[in-house]
Amino acid sequence: MAEAVIAATPVRRPRRARLGIPPVSALLLLLIVVLCVCAPLVVSAGPDQIDPTHPFAAATGQHWLGTDEVGRDLLSRLLYGGRLSLMVCAGSVALAFVLGTVWGVAAAERGGWADEILMRGADIAMAIPQILFALVCVAAFGASLLSLTLITGILLTPSSARMARSVTIQETGLDYYSAGIAYGAGKIRLLSTEVLPNIFPALASQAAINAASAIILEASLSFVGLGVQPPQTSWGVLLQQGYGYLYNDPSYALSPAIMILLTVLCLNLVANRMSSPDARRAARRAARRAARGGRKVRK
Amino acid sequence: MVRYVIRRIAISIVLLIAVSMLIFIVLRALPGSPVTARLGTSQGVTQEMINRLTKSAGLDRPLASQYLTWISGILHGNLGTSYFTGQPVGSLIGAAIGPTLELTIIGVALSVVIAVPAAIASARRPGGWLDGIITAVSSAGMAFPPFVAGIVLIIVFSVQAHLLPARGYVPFLTNPVQNLRDMILPAISLAVGAAPLVLRYLRNELVTSLDSNYTRTAAGKGASETRVLLRHALPNAALPSLTMIGLITGYTLGGSVIVEYAFGFSGLGALSIQSAFNRDYAILQSVVLLISTLFILVSLAVDLMSWRLDPRTRGRHG
Repeated sequence: MAEAVIAATPVRRPRRARLGIPPVSALLLLLIVVLCVCAPLVVSAGPDQIDPTHPFAAATGQHWLGTDEVGRDLLSRLLYGGRLSLMVCAGSVALAFVLGTVWGVAAAERGGWADEILMRGADIAMAIPQILFALVCVAAFGASLLSLTLITGILLTPSSARMARSVTIQETGLDYYSAGIAYGAGKIRLLSTEVLPNIFPALASQAAINAASAIILEASLSFVGLGVQPPQTSWGVLLQQGYGYLYNDPSYALSPAIMILLTVLCLNLVANRMSSPDARRAARRAARRAARGGRKVRK
Repeated sequence: MVRYVIRRIAISIVLLIAVSMLIFIVLRALPGSPVTARLGTSQGVTQEMINRLTKSAGLDRPLASQYLTWISGILHGNLGTSYFTGQPVGSLIGAAIGPTLELTIIGVALSVVIAVPAAIASARRPGGWLDGIITAVSSAGMAFPPFVAGIVLIIVFSVQAHLLPARGYVPFLTNPVQNLRDMILPAISLAVGAAPLVLRYLRNELVTSLDSNYTRTAAGKGASETRVLLRHALPNAALPSLTMIGLITGYTLGGSVIVEYAFGFSGLGALSIQSAFNRDYAILQSVVLLISTLFILVSLAVDLMSWRLDPRTRGRHG
């Protein structure tokens, strides 16, 4: 039967993977990050440099994406804006990673009542649609760059906690963990030096998904005026400004939209790839090596 | 059997209460009332005015008492009044809920209408070229935040092609044709991200079903490929996918907040954004609780329905 033949075909890793070249999504993501971080080297015009004589200029050799309503270079604003978007994203993902891991590992390790309470807490926070919870937090804590990062980070924490809990439960059920306990190793030590490197790939994959959510949350909030506040610029702010001039210059709103889409797409693909068993094994080996030799973890 | 239903309903009620407390506590976590935040920076505001507004909004009372007033008000059908305009929150929500519900229902329905045929086409030949294309398109779709999809759609269909309206909402009863024309773009914006979620899940369930013995038996007894797929595999694959409907309802309710703003609908999303701007907690807390309640109720309905229809889910609960 046809199905049987398909099922029997061995999965062959593509040549690119066997040669150790990172996937296209990761390379593209790296390119976006490098372009934004090194914005001053890429574009000569500053993001706030106005030129009232050339509003809505078409794309030229001097302004690759044209200019906005007061003649600011759009490419420059796109890259400098990306810096803020990525900064909020990185900060919130790091926060969610740390808080979520502690939360999830504690729930898994304690079990019983503590687990119940910690995980029902996550359920409650996740029962409110994320963007609405974000609106509530912004109304309560204001819309500064710092509060935006903290709010986004806290919103992403419950999903990290869930992931950390489920993989920790799997790991602590394995023989090496019971053996460690039997040999008298401290739980904290066992969790941090043995379990953590093993669950790291799953946590990193969740972090990539969170990063995509963070980009979307920042863009959503800034788009409605409750996120990054002009004159500071982020992709969400650019969307909002471009949205106001859709009929004058559609490409104004289109370029931040494309950046958001590409970043989210690449993050999703990277997360997918990291959560595949093959990649997890490789990442686990790398993490082990790093833990032993004190070398940096290769991602 | 009754025990499971009661237990499931009780969990939802506890969840609702906890959600209402969470919203309430977060909104009052920082010292300083919304009144000072709103008026504090404007010129010519005296302490007396602040005190009067604080008192009229009931913000000078202890937190627990404020919370109980809010909840008992909800149970009596009285949501209080806006801190600043004095309009009753109930009628504000009543005016805004129509567009949101309509958009959510159309968005979810559209997602299912797109996802089911695509999943069937995809599962027919797993690993085939059509499967590859559908998987790639759905990955791209999942990367679209609904409001970004909305902006792109406005650019393509309103700004460039002049086919569909970019802004506005007309109630269905006033003008059905105009209403549906207004709904097309926002509903597609939501479905772009929501449909792939259903699609992926249903596709994987279908592939599993098609790989199992009962479909092989059906094929062996001479049922045509289409019949095996639609009569034998699809019902078994569709039931677990019901839970995805609950999930995309949450996604759509959340996504519609910003989509409404982008398309100029005066729905619950627009109302919540505006009240977050004004720090009008009286409106914001009720709107957010209402939308969360809708989400929790849909999840409950989906759970009970799949429990009723699918014996496989009953094992654990007894």
